[in-house]
Amino acid sequence: MTMDDRELERAILGLPLEEPPQGLRASILLATAYRPGPAFSVGELVALGSLGAVALWLGIMLVLGGGSLFVHTLQTIGSTLSRTLSNAGVLAWLAAGGATAIWLTLFSGWQPVAAVSHRSERSASR
Amino acid sequence: MAEAPVRVSAQPQDGDLVAIALRGNSDAFAILVERYDRAVYHLAYRTLHDVEEARDATQEAFFKAFRSLRTFKPGSKFSTWIFAIAYHACCDRLNRRKRFSGDELPDRADVSPGPEQQVIALDEATRLRAAIDALPEKYRTVVTLFHLQGRQYEEIATVLGLPMGTVKTHLFRAKEQLRRLLSGAEVTEL
Repeated sequence: MTMDDRELERAILGLPLEEPPQGLRASILLATAYRPGPAFSVGELVALGSLGAVALWLGIMLVLGGGSLFVHTLQTIGSTLSRTLSNAGVLAWLAAGGATAIWLTLFSGWQPVAAVSHRSERSASR
Repeated sequence: MAEAPVRVSAQPQDGDLVAIALRGNSDAFAILVERYDRAVYHLAYRTLHDVEEARDATQEAFFKAFRSLRTFKPGSKFSTWIFAIAYHACCDRLNRRKRFSGDELPDRADVSPGPEQQVIALDEATRLRAAIDALPEKYRTVVTLFHLQGRQYEEIATVLGLPMGTVKTHLFRAKEQLRRLLSGAEVTEL
């Protein structure tokens, strides 16, 4: 078989591509674009860690001081919280902070609820 | 007179897809995978000659591309970028293979010519493929990239990290050897 340059180039360019093994695309997509997200987000991990730390702290107090120290601590926390939340100034600052957060959310178009539901829908459809 | 319809590109360009993927749209990267997985696998298989290794190298290339999508230069070609990543992944595997086997890598792929009658019976594409496989590695890779990218010598040079003149020389010599192999003549290393 003798070929000139043009024929040879045409033959090379016309060669069919290798057939990839089955499931290659799916495995690539699962490792990249559609990689399942972590079980917990950073925020959830922080919340869980904080709850764990509080539970541990309360547990240690129960062991060290018995029921009375535990009740006393809870009373102190409760009274501090109620005193803080009954202060009009604190409530005003909280309201201002909340309103600013909502306003910024609208401004930046960030919609956490929509984003989460979109991700769940896609995971479910796969 | 009726107005000419406005032509809207139904197929987004690779660069646009990268930009969309960078904004967090996973489907955009999925389209890029669909466009190039076969070509990348082809390059990996022709370089490594092993289905499993080619599969792993293809996966590795896309994984690296996904993780370093931000380093993709806007305006450059995605195909060149992903081929370069895949080619480097293949080179790493070839080097590892060389290290573990303790032997020098063969300069030529195993041609396994078999009986002459069998070779004659092969169709043209199969014969050409066997001839490409029989080329020394440096020529084989250039021919494979020529197959994937056409006459875009600059892109081939970018993927291989070689000067364009070297790519053209390699391709010229590869074609010479291919012609000789296909005509059944003895081939000597150039």
